[in-house]
Amino acid sequence: MGDALFYVFGALMVLFTFLTIRARNPVYSAIFMILSFASTAALFVMLDAFLLAAVEVLVYAGAIMVLFLFVIMLINLRAAEHDGLRVSPLVVLVALTFLLLLGRGIADLGPVPAGANELVGTPQLVAKTLFTRYVVPFEAVSILLLSAILGTVVLARRSGEA
Amino acid sequence: MIPLEHWLYLSGMVFTLGLCGVLMRRNVILVLMSIEIMLNAANLALVAFNKYLPPDPATGATAPDGQVFVFFTIAVAAAEVAVALAIAMALFRRLDTVNVDDVANLRW
Repeated sequence: MGDALFYVFGALMVLFTFLTIRARNPVYSAIFMILSFASTAALFVMLDAFLLAAVEVLVYAGAIMVLFLFVIMLINLRAAEHDGLRVSPLVVLVALTFLLLLGRGIADLGPVPAGANELVGTPQLVAKTLFTRYVVPFEAVSILLLSAILGTVVLARRSGEA
Repeated sequence: MIPLEHWLYLSGMVFTLGLCGVLMRRNVILVLMSIEIMLNAANLALVAFNKYLPPDPATGATAPDGQVFVFFTIAVAAAEVAVALAIAMALFRRLDTVNVDDVANLRW
């Protein structure tokens, strides 16, 4: 049962990702991207990463997607429309080569652990690691987010405003 | 039990789709979305590796380091998207375009 769900959500994730990059209308792309990230959240649950599944839905499907939709609607949609996939032979060659190399790399991975461990990503466990071993990077992320806020405000301001 | 390779193949497929999106779309918003897809594929691989990591022999438990990395990736992706979309807005306001091919110069 659990194994079948992996293939179901994996296929959904690939399908929705494909529809995201293929859709002509950017709003449809954004909607398909939400569905792709929802499938990823389901896969995170299958890997027992419960906190990350919740964060994925909150941050990606919630915050980032609202940001994308706002900008798509602020930017004149007609100008952004009518831009489908531009398939050129060179790009297809690059993508196929990349996929082949990646596949070879995974196939040649060497001995990998056959079974999963008992790790369950509950908020308690992840938070304990985050606030002990990774407390300095955590604080650095807060500085990064603050500077991103400042940069966004400065960039999005209309020129000429104080 | 799903073998680790299957998770990695899935992650690789989604990453390649994101790469195709970056290379084939000319709308700057779609390029950004494709970058998010690539980051997300890498996140999936990190969580899968963490789940299959053998336990630490000293403590007998596996540390959730991979999940913490994904936490940081999501935070960085959120910051990156906010700044990049602000740039896209400024671009549209100044040049009236969101096509990356029309933006070949670094300054005006």
